[in-house]
Amino acid sequence: MNPHPKVTPEPPVWIDRLLNRICAPHLREEVLGDLHERYYLRAERLGPKRARALYRRDVLAYLRPSVIRRKPNPEPSTHFANPDMLRNYLLVAWRNLIHNKTFSAINLLGLALGMACSLLIYLWIQDEYRMDAYHANGPHLYHVLERQFYDGKVEVGSGTPGLLPDELKKQFPEIAAAAGLSWEEQHTFLVGNRFNKEKGRFAGADWFRMYSVPLLQGTAETALDGPNNVAISRKLARNYFGSPEAALGKSVRLDNKTDYRVSAVFEDLPENSSLRYDFLLTWPDFIARNEWLKEWGTNVIETHLLLRPEGGEEAAARLEVNLKSFLKSRSKSLQTGNFDIQLFLQKHQDAYLYSNFRNGYPDGGRIEYVRLFGIVAVLILVIACINFMNLATARSAKRAREVGVRKVVGAVRGLLIGQFLGETLLLTLMALGIAVGLTWLLLPTFNSLTDKHISLGITSPAFWGTLLAMTVLTGLLAGSYPAFFLSSFHPIRVLKGAIRFGSGARFFRQGLVVFQFVLSMLLIVGTMVVYRQIEYTQTKNLGYDRENLIYLQAEGDLGTKYETFREQLLRMPGIQTLTYMDGTPTHRHGSTGNVQWPGKDPNASIQFQFSTVDYDFTKTLKLKLKGRDFSREYGMDSVSFLINETAARRIGYREPLGKPLTMWGQAGTIIGVMEDFHAGSLHQPIEPTIVRLSTKAAGKNIIVRTQPGQTREALASLETVYRQVNPKFPFAYQFADEEYRKLYHSEQVVGRLANYFAFLAIFISCLGLFGLSAFTAEQRTKEIGVRKVLGASVFGIVSLLSKDFLRLVLIAILIACPLAWYAMSRWLQDFAYKTDLEWWLFAGAGAIAVGIAVLTISFQSIKAALLNPVKSLRSE
Amino acid sequence: MRRSDLGEFEEVVLLTVAVLAPTAYSVAIAEELEQETGQSVNTGAVHAALQRLEDKGYVSSVLGEATAVRGGRRKRLFTVTALGGRVLGEVRSVRNRLWDRIEPQTFPGLDLA
Repeated sequence: MNPHPKVTPEPPVWIDRLLNRICAPHLREEVLGDLHERYYLRAERLGPKRARALYRRDVLAYLRPSVIRRKPNPEPSTHFANPDMLRNYLLVAWRNLIHNKTFSAINLLGLALGMACSLLIYLWIQDEYRMDAYHANGPHLYHVLERQFYDGKVEVGSGTPGLLPDELKKQFPEIAAAAGLSWEEQHTFLVGNRFNKEKGRFAGADWFRMYSVPLLQGTAETALDGPNNVAISRKLARNYFGSPEAALGKSVRLDNKTDYRVSAVFEDLPENSSLRYDFLLTWPDFIARNEWLKEWGTNVIETHLLLRPEGGEEAAARLEVNLKSFLKSRSKSLQTGNFDIQLFLQKHQDAYLYSNFRNGYPDGGRIEYVRLFGIVAVLILVIACINFMNLATARSAKRAREVGVRKVVGAVRGLLIGQFLGETLLLTLMALGIAVGLTWLLLPTFNSLTDKHISLGITSPAFWGTLLAMTVLTGLLAGSYPAFFLSSFHPIRVLKGAIRFGSGARFFRQGLVVFQFVLSMLLIVGTMVVYRQIEYTQTKNLGYDRENLIYLQAEGDLGTKYETFREQLLRMPGIQTLTYMDGTPTHRHGSTGNVQWPGKDPNASIQFQFSTVDYDFTKTLKLKLKGRDFSREYGMDSVSFLINETAARRIGYREPLGKPLTMWGQAGTIIGVMEDFHAGSLHQPIEPTIVRLSTKAAGKNIIVRTQPGQTREALASLETVYRQVNPKFPFAYQFADEEYRKLYHSEQVVGRLANYFAFLAIFISCLGLFGLSAFTAEQRTKEIGVRKVLGASVFGIVSLLSKDFLRLVLIAILIACPLAWYAMSRWLQDFAYKTDLEWWLFAGAGAIAVGIAVLTISFQSIKAALLNPVKSLRSE
Repeated sequence: MRRSDLGEFEEVVLLTVAVLAPTAYSVAIAEELEQETGQSVNTGAVHAALQRLEDKGYVSSVLGEATAVRGGRRKRLFTVTALGGRVLGEVRSVRNRLWDRIEPQTFPGLDLA
């Protein structure tokens, strides 16, 4: 009551409110009383304006610790860890779990699926990071790469000159060891009468001193020092000699030609080695087999370096500066042309994950998939957590009374937060148990899907640490918002029965649902685009016909007796035609800049793909051709060229047939123009290509076209003739379409994984939607009853219940479309030839999301709408 | 004498509590001091001094009646404890002894008697 109603206005209310917050509760009464009394005294004496000013100053004088500090509670609440309380918490948690079986199951299932999925992805990412990380010299191992500047472009290649490793080691004292490494080759091993094809490489003498590949027999120093040495893996030693001990010093005949001595046996390479080889031959042998490697202009072998550890990263940086112009001082062609090659270093550990380059600098690689899936793992877990948060807050009315009673008997907010968080953590722990079980079950499938050999690692403490961290994080993420929300209830209001939640909580919940569906949409669109691109690569007309095409290696006697082979084979059933070529249609052979023609811009440096081939090349590949193919009827075809349309455009001949062209200093004429065809994968654009006639089949690939539908007969024919012509070599072949499919292996893996993850994401999101719609239907039972009594149709009620949720899904679609468009156009950038991002992709994904959401919601809403109103209205 | 125990402002507040006994409370004390000293004294400062005095045991307090002028809030009434009285006495006697020893010619204008 204001004692001076006419003259004096009240002191400013906001100040009182502020003071009420700041001042300790036990002092509030006297402090405010004092202030007010003084205010009225002064107002009478000095007038209200002056009194107000003094009032404000007086309030400031109360801002001191002795006023603000709260009085300790004389009766502290029961300790959280009190056994009685703990038992009570557990009991209540258990009852809640059992009482609401549907919701508990939804929560548990959602969390378990999310965690299982994240766990799998975590294992995969861990495995990716472990790749090549096992070498003792790890941080000091480097690859030398080349940055090639030509044609206004910068390309990065791992191919370096054959003499580079030894030369670098001689020139730079900071290099402790250097070794070259060849491409992978297949050679036929013959021991006694046992023979088989094995895959291996040639490596420099320092190899075993650089890399941690344990030697079971022999020493690192002598393993690769003589030209006729071969180091073999434990597997080969067992296969050919019975044991590593028995293998050492024994002789192996390679390709039925040369004898080698087993100088060392190394342990089979671990799964986390990106380099694969079952045997290593020596560098002097490699140079002797390929004399042209001594040319500084050839860039084909990998150069691996081990730097002295004392130099650290700075030594590597200094070395890199010196390497920049190293090749220029060696190679004559680099000194004259405006074509430049600079050397640079990449850490061996990084080579696996960061293998892509754009404009000469690292630009992702597998690391992008690692990041992508890392994000996906987190997102799916977040979706599962959102389910939990939504259901817990939506259903909070059910537990409001419990909160009220607990507060009345003395629970403080912190205790309640602890209780609800603890409950969530317990539930998360249960979910984790299920998740680990699921992961264990799914791991074999996952491994075959991703070509990995991942195990659960139950024995490693790091694994359990991760599980623990994951549980705690998930529990906190899912549980903290509900815990804060529930514990904030006002006991009096809650116990009076009038629980009204602000629109804030509902808005938040709707926001979370939108978020879930945005993520699901992103994954659906992503999956569709990846699949469409894979489909595109598989169905695109490549310009050659890859069906019914078989590759064989022209090795051993096949190289010299190719003509016999060809003539015999053509008489056999199932065979249409055959030819041979460098490389294969699916794997490009190589490129050269040494092509001249009259009128060529002297400054231009154009790289041409090239291959040397046999007669019937275009016929076997079914290429469309203007002009004519190489023919036995013309004696002059050894100086004839076939070029593709792109090459014709680059050269600039309007009518290229019969025009002169010089390759590698040999002049000839263009006799045919092939319609552009896609050699290699669609990641690369079609490049200018030149094809020449070859006279030697040795070292090339024989390409056989079989009669459609007669593959089995063709293979039988091939094997028969092969065994006659080349008996010392095992019969091995590849199908072109299979090789082509393998080019997109990683895309296929990504596509399949994205498919599963998208399914999981939408499934978990729908679980949440299912729970929410069930809850809404339950809450509105009475309303629905009344509506039905008044004549509402089932359809009307279903649409009433579904409308709100559908609106959220639609908002999500609107948000997701631009995001998905951006993300997928970035992914498609990696392909030179790609599908378009059509509008109907997004519409389709949206329709899927809406459709699934409608199905989920309508299950509940139809159930609610069909309920007999008598039942729902009877209880009151 | 533990002189440091009683600040100057505290001493004045304590004396005022004694003067206003038995109805001494922050507002009355602040008003009284304002009148006596002619300087503005805010209740916050008085309140803090009273809190300290109570901690030291020189005053005791009890919540009084609610009054309309305070918006129905009660006031906290303070009385000087026996200890408080003794301390005040000690302070006063120290002062007195010192005053007594001041020669009259030191402050010619003052009547020291």
